[in-house]
Amino acid sequence: MAYPKIDDDIRTKLEAIVGAKNVSFSKDDIEKASVDESPLEPHPPAVVVKPGTAAEVSAIMRLANEKLVSVVAQGSRTGLAGASHPIRGGIALSLERMNKILEIDEENLMAVVEPAALVDDVHKAVEKVGLYYPPDPGQESGSIGGNINTNAGGMRALKYGTTRDYVQALEVVLPSGEVIDVGGKVVKDTTGYSLLDLLIGSEGTLGIVTKATLRLVPKPKHTALIYAPFESTHDAAKAVSEIIRRKVQPFALELMSRHAVETVERYLERKLPDDTHPAYLIVGVESNSESELSTQLETAGEVCIENGAVDAFIADTAEKQRQMWESRKAVYDAYNTFYELDEADICVPRGRVPDFIDKLAGVEAKHHVQIVPVGHAGDGNVHCNIIRLGGTDKEWHEALEASISDLIDLSLAMGGTVSGEHGLGYTKRLYLVRKVGAMQVELMKGIKKVFDPKGILNPDKIWG
Amino acid sequence: MSVGLNIVICIKQVPETTEVEFDKETGRLKREGVAAVINPFDEYAIETGLRLREKHGGRVKVISMGPPAAEQALRDAIAMGCDEGILVSDRVFGGADTWATSLTLAKSIQLSGAHDIIICGLKTTDGDTGQTGPEMAEHLGEPCISYVSQIIDVKDRKITLKRSLDDGVETLEAPLPLIITVSKDVGQPRLATLRGRLAAKKAVINTITNKEMGMNPKELGLDGSYTRVTKIFTPEPHAGGEVIEGTPDQLADAIYAKLKETKII
Repeated sequence: MAYPKIDDDIRTKLEAIVGAKNVSFSKDDIEKASVDESPLEPHPPAVVVKPGTAAEVSAIMRLANEKLVSVVAQGSRTGLAGASHPIRGGIALSLERMNKILEIDEENLMAVVEPAALVDDVHKAVEKVGLYYPPDPGQESGSIGGNINTNAGGMRALKYGTTRDYVQALEVVLPSGEVIDVGGKVVKDTTGYSLLDLLIGSEGTLGIVTKATLRLVPKPKHTALIYAPFESTHDAAKAVSEIIRRKVQPFALELMSRHAVETVERYLERKLPDDTHPAYLIVGVESNSESELSTQLETAGEVCIENGAVDAFIADTAEKQRQMWESRKAVYDAYNTFYELDEADICVPRGRVPDFIDKLAGVEAKHHVQIVPVGHAGDGNVHCNIIRLGGTDKEWHEALEASISDLIDLSLAMGGTVSGEHGLGYTKRLYLVRKVGAMQVELMKGIKKVFDPKGILNPDKIWG
Repeated sequence: MSVGLNIVICIKQVPETTEVEFDKETGRLKREGVAAVINPFDEYAIETGLRLREKHGGRVKVISMGPPAAEQALRDAIAMGCDEGILVSDRVFGGADTWATSLTLAKSIQLSGAHDIIICGLKTTDGDTGQTGPEMAEHLGEPCISYVSQIIDVKDRKITLKRSLDDGVETLEAPLPLIITVSKDVGQPRLATLRGRLAAKKAVINTITNKEMGMNPKELGLDGSYTRVTKIFTPEPHAGGEVIEGTPDQLADAIYAKLKETKII
């Protein structure tokens, strides 16, 4: 299939749709649109187009569909699997102007937002009125559109689930330019196939989200965090299972190694309460009642101590919790500052996390890399930072690919999956078949064909 | 040889908020929905005390003047590692300014046993005066060193320490007992631990009222205060302004010139 260059005709038509100033060939815009946060080499688009409305997105898609120009929708480009890379050039459709929070509906507990609204901005806006948008994928500069397209999870998935559980409705522009509304402000909906659920996590391959209605919950009044140092990662992972078994309902159970703690301390130039133990758990608890919070906090802390934690540090004021979260969330940036690495965001059944972590040393030794697991231990999502230890570029890339491949096989053997929340995008696309098998890949390709018969929207993604 | 220090830390419970809001009608602090915490500056005092105990042995006593609810701040301090909490609380102490507060605190410290060093935070986040520590020293007739950034050593009943000034750092030696106020440079305050929290729950907090102190109520609370709060308001944020840079002396000259120029003086 041909993906022609942007000729004068297409350019003139794009300018007629969004205005000349929103059609950019500038080096700066092209460079920015060439990458996301994956280590993938840049893929420059031919042009960056910045629509301001769904109608403009629709007109662009109509044109692209007619001219067979590939289109990749982009938000904040914080993805980690290359899903927003314009692999075949074409149009990078930057939604950056569509970043407004349109409505906070306190009666229905919902927010209506544009796709480029930042997750952080949504959090702040709804929390101002005592509401809560639970998905918290750590990358605060990520956009809601991107979160929907990767079904992002993050720190609070343990208690609240992933983005999917909080998307009520979407306005989507199809590759043909048709605009569809899926879902609604209804709590229950069994009306045909759920295209809503199909679109969530589709990594920008089926349609372009131009508006999203998000479900909100009341914000818990009291929260606290525990930071518990352990003598081994295995002990920490055991404590995770026990905390769940004891019916504490933490909203977060995060695992950090000493390596991760030291890396964050170096990055933030600030000490965490302890950095001399091999493993750490951060446990987040919340409640509307102070006494219930206290019970949860003490139970979780006691479980940590029973499972070998030397003690459990408690962050109970808002400021102390903010600092602790800031440290946890800085892990990704810290590693990217000091190391050359890529990440496999494996997700295994929660109970298998200790086994999975025990097996990392074997992969490290086999491929001569360092693997630092940092993870949402409570939901089984273990982010494996694979760090370069040396060798030539070629050796490193081979070692990296081989390590990722082995980690995925380990995960699948334990009933786990390839990607918990980053998605397959471009960098992990070859692994889809290992998880779902050829039949399901064919079904997915069939679905893609129905939505995008000409294959112009975000081609080359998800499967190899 | 370890000395075994009797360390007293003065803390205050304050509303946890970065933006203190006042009810414009009544001039009172809006406290609904705002948690009460240890004044963040006082946590540095606690950290200093705990480190002193770790190095020299001894006991850390934490003392707070406030309503009965301030007991929680004392328990929070015990959860961080302090040994003992004393609440100074009586209706007649209410409405005290820094003078009456420092007098009351000084008397209750005298009542509660011997001390080698009293440590205060630099100031409170709600009052913002930084006066209570130094005034307490006046009442007790003890030396006071403010803005302490580092304690170097305690030996032979003498303390050596550093304090930050606008134009440098001073290293001082002083005899015990004394009062210090510490800055954030002393080191990040530790978090409370679960073991500490469980111990704090069981801890007995002794309360000192004016019955024990036996002071003339006229010297206490609002009656014993030399200052009056006539109006409380949230200052509007200023826009613009002029930034003058230079040494403290140059800045003083520049401000003097400015005040003359604008005929304020």
